[in-house]
Amino acid sequence: MHGLNAIETHNLTKRFADGTLGVNDLSLQVRHGEVYGFLGPNGSGKTTTLRMLLGLAMPSNGNATVLGATPGSTESLARIGAMIETPAFYPYLSGRDNLRVLAGHAGVDERRIAEVLTTVDLASRGSDRFQTYSLGMKQRLGVAAALLKDPELLILDEPTNGLDPAGMAEMRDLIRTLGQEGRTVLLSSHLMGEIEQVCDRVGVIRRGQLVAEGTIDELRDRDRLLVRAEPIEQARRLIASVAGVEDVTVVRGEIHVDGDPAAASEIARVLVQANVRLYEFRVERASLEDIFLALTREEEIAA
Amino acid sequence: MTSSIRVELLVLRKRMATWILLGVWVILATIFAYIVPYMLNRSGATPQETELIRQLMPDRFAGNVSSGFPFYGGAFAIMLGVLAIGSDYTWGTLKTLFTQGPGRLRIFASKIIAIAITLIPFVLVPFIIGATSSAIVASLEGNAMSWPSIATIGQAILSSWVIMLAWAAFGVALAALTRGTSLAIGVGILYTLALEGLLSALAGSVNLLEPLVKIFVRTNAYSLIEPLGAMNAGSAGDGPGRFTGPFVSTTQALIMLGVYVVVFVGISAVALRRRDVG
Repeated sequence: MHGLNAIETHNLTKRFADGTLGVNDLSLQVRHGEVYGFLGPNGSGKTTTLRMLLGLAMPSNGNATVLGATPGSTESLARIGAMIETPAFYPYLSGRDNLRVLAGHAGVDERRIAEVLTTVDLASRGSDRFQTYSLGMKQRLGVAAALLKDPELLILDEPTNGLDPAGMAEMRDLIRTLGQEGRTVLLSSHLMGEIEQVCDRVGVIRRGQLVAEGTIDELRDRDRLLVRAEPIEQARRLIASVAGVEDVTVVRGEIHVDGDPAAASEIARVLVQANVRLYEFRVERASLEDIFLALTREEEIAA
Repeated sequence: MTSSIRVELLVLRKRMATWILLGVWVILATIFAYIVPYMLNRSGATPQETELIRQLMPDRFAGNVSSGFPFYGGAFAIMLGVLAIGSDYTWGTLKTLFTQGPGRLRIFASKIIAIAITLIPFVLVPFIIGATSSAIVASLEGNAMSWPSIATIGQAILSSWVIMLAWAAFGVALAALTRGTSLAIGVGILYTLALEGLLSALAGSVNLLEPLVKIFVRTNAYSLIEPLGAMNAGSAGDGPGRFTGPFVSTTQALIMLGVYVVVFVGISAVALRRRDVG
């Protein structure tokens, strides 16, 4: 074991060739043995971050260590099982042969293939071609591939995509079990229930930046300022300019403000001084779902 | 490494496209090296026709079969190279492979070795069918069966494999650079047909082109098999595979083809190692 953290990133940044900022100054720590939920709306930079942690993409700036080694190094990859985005396998090969290919490259005993196929309940379809699999079966084969090396660290990107409710529940149970076995799991998802039921700690990412991190309880306990004011756009701009304000979103005519609670008095002062009509000004305790929905709505508004 | 090569061979062996390429190549090689020349010249009405029938006899089969590799065989080798690497981009399997741990370059090396091994039947089967066809022609013409030496046959087989390897490496490089299959196959075929083919044809009349043509894959490939007597039948007719020179020495040809393999594989390795995988 290398230190307290299985994964550490420091100011990790990814700028694509077209100039788009995929991940911006991201610093996070995933501790050994925890199930860490990486939560964020679609396109927020979750997959790009995971790809950098696996060495599939090179960071433009910043750095990361995974299991004490450089991302993508033989040393780290040998102890990581990963499924990134849609599972990608050779369509003409059977599920079993696809795992055989991966086992061959990873130097894993082929007897392990039967075990992982059983774990994901694919043993009876292991001889069928991958192209004949349903989306859910493809997803389960992806998880089987991730488990093949009996890894210390699992990086799973939206593993319940395409699964029916029963399959989702089974997958959550599996992830929970893997966590209980002492493995570290980094689980990326945009599904609140999945994260809440499975994860010990959560990091919320939006537009490539980590906007919240903590245990589920800590995140639930985050206070949020709720403001109703007119003109709303002027109020939003004024609030956003106050020091300590991390995030301002407009949801159904209400301004939701996240950040340092001490900024509330300054916000009130700025709004009154600017003659903004203030109808409501209160602090509310946001749930994890509230935080996520606020982020999602803002993405929609921005789009 | 052995297990990586073994599974990469499984990937190629179980792929229908590999067998289709092999089947079509063998059929084309047989048609253009034996069936068409025999049908067109079997009357032996002119000395030229008689000579062309002579090329189809067992004693010249090694050269006759190998004459198909620099161009026609090369096109199939390009496609094999493109499919072996480009499909990993198209299907996204590269990211699955690259998270397994052995390192990008080791996985790539195992793929290259698997391609090189897969090319062996692409060389051997046409030679076996060529030998059989030449025996049939000799029987039909009532000629005695006289075979080239084992050394000549071995040289022809090895030369043909080197040629196929150079073209396959070209296909691999195109696939790695374009990160896919369609464009890579298009560019590969266009290069062999339009660029090398047309400029080689013009080299006879435009002297300035000769030094350039001498470094072409096709020139070095034809030069490698030229001592086997390959240039008299398969490549002398009209068509995209036609080649009448300039030739370089066998040694230079072998070195140049080796350099091409190293350069194409090197370019691909750099592209695979450095670039992000989607």
